[in-house]
Amino acid sequence: MFTKDLTKRYDGRAVVDGVSFEIPKGKVLSLIGPNGAGKSTVMGMISRLVAGDAGLVDFDGREIRKWKSRELSRRLAILTQTNNVQMKLTVRELVSFGRFPYSGSRLTAEDEAIVDRSIAYMELEDMQEQFIDELSGGQRQRAYIAMVIAQDTEYILLDEPTNNLDIYHATNMMRIVRRLCDELGKTVVLVLHEINYAAFYSDYICAFVNGRIAKFGTVREVMTKENLSQIYSVDFEIMEIDGKPLSIYY
Amino acid sequence: MNGAAPKNRTAGMKKLFWLCLAAAAAVVLYMTVNVRFDNPKLASYALHLRSVKVIVMLLAAAAIGAASIVFQSIINNTIVTPCLLGMNALYTLVHTAVAFFLGTGSILLRSGNAAFAMDLLIMSVTATFLYGFIFKKTKYNVLYVLLIGTVLSSFFSSIQSTLVRVMDPNEYETLLVTLVASFSNVNEEIILFAALLMAAIAFVLRRDLGVLDVITLGREQAINLGVDYDRVIRRLLLGVVLYISVATALVGPISFLGLIIANLSRQLFRTYRHTRLIAGSVLIGMVLLVAGQLIVEQVYTYAIPISVFITVGGGVYFLYLLLMQRKRG
Repeated sequence: MFTKDLTKRYDGRAVVDGVSFEIPKGKVLSLIGPNGAGKSTVMGMISRLVAGDAGLVDFDGREIRKWKSRELSRRLAILTQTNNVQMKLTVRELVSFGRFPYSGSRLTAEDEAIVDRSIAYMELEDMQEQFIDELSGGQRQRAYIAMVIAQDTEYILLDEPTNNLDIYHATNMMRIVRRLCDELGKTVVLVLHEINYAAFYSDYICAFVNGRIAKFGTVREVMTKENLSQIYSVDFEIMEIDGKPLSIYY
Repeated sequence: MNGAAPKNRTAGMKKLFWLCLAAAAAVVLYMTVNVRFDNPKLASYALHLRSVKVIVMLLAAAAIGAASIVFQSIINNTIVTPCLLGMNALYTLVHTAVAFFLGTGSILLRSGNAAFAMDLLIMSVTATFLYGFIFKKTKYNVLYVLLIGTVLSSFFSSIQSTLVRVMDPNEYETLLVTLVASFSNVNEEIILFAALLMAAIAFVLRRDLGVLDVITLGREQAINLGVDYDRVIRRLLLGVVLYISVATALVGPISFLGLIIANLSRQLFRTYRHTRLIAGSVLIGMVLLVAGQLIVEQVYTYAIPISVFITVGGGVYFLYLLLMQRKRG
């Protein structure tokens, strides 16, 4: 999966401007950058939620908008931050929606088994009959991840999955991301605000500034003092912890 | 491990069964109370008269009940009613305009068939054209549709009240009768046509209705799960507009009823499954309308029209819903 010259304009102003990159298969890729750099818009375009103005998103040899939505939903999943459900929905019912691309609203025995496994994987067995709107933020996030796991796609796109979570839950979330890649072999792309999460838990980093790619590479390539200072216009120090480059900014 | 879900399902079926029973009881009561069965001629006359009205009420309840649930789900807000689309105001305006320019003696007001055809045609064409156009222009933003519907409602009402001000008082008196929701003045042909139209719309939209459960997860999730969101929303909204047009053309402006029955159904079933929510809403609508009309006819002997009850009851219930929402946060 790759993008070529991807461009998006709002009122004539390009928020994403000629972005080309390839998503490394079976790895975790983090999109970082200051506010308004266009990383979420790029995420929107590679997940077909947002229509681009120019350029293309190639998924398995075909432009993403040319895919049948139903087919694509079996291969690529996106989780955004705007998940306010007005309905009375239990955790299990939510996770069952992950099987919609395969079986519609009528789940087969096999679907039920997959739902069971997804719930177990996210350790939600005890609360599977609770209503979504009665859960805490961290629990709700896990329920949505379980749904994405039930969707059983090769690609998982997460738009700011640590938003609104405290340090404990955010760190847990990042561990889950790592497990999705290492244990289940998923290709994960996420938009992150916290650079150190990106540095510690991903394989590749793509940094955006003003709608363009400022740096793309392995964590070690991108996480240098010079690069980060340039991207964020703040002074940075890089420290080595656990064999990973972590940043301190002030 | 999957214990609670089936329990919920059977509880839901039980509730549906009781609602069916209540609706049937209301229909039987309505058909039989105060009918003089000792006089076969009078009895058959009364039964014929009442059966037509009952069928009209059931049809109206079905149209409004289904349209309200669907509308709330595509807007993703449970305190809206399809009233906001401005169909009531348009209906009132059309009738006032006809009375004003052609007189209340006009065939368009006096003949049931002609009035129904005129209402349905004007409402459905205006709404389909207007909302189809607006939807495209605003890139399928449902909130704009709501906003424009509200603006149009007051626009239509303003024109109507201007016309009424310069109208002959006698004409106005006659006009007023047609502006109040009523279940008489509808004949068999219209009923058959309305029923067939509703069935046809439901058939055309059956696949879109099937993804309503997913739609309630929001636009992003629906697309993620492979639903062609914009297309489905557009088709369903047009379906809602047509259903409301049919109901309003049949009985007059009563779509406010939708707020009550849709929310009662949501409270009763507490589920996201739309087959059940819609069935519940339709059945509750049938019970309320038929029982309400029974009371209007037998207790108040037509002194108070049913729309008064609907508006008063609906208003109180609306306040209750608002307060409950605030409480929950």
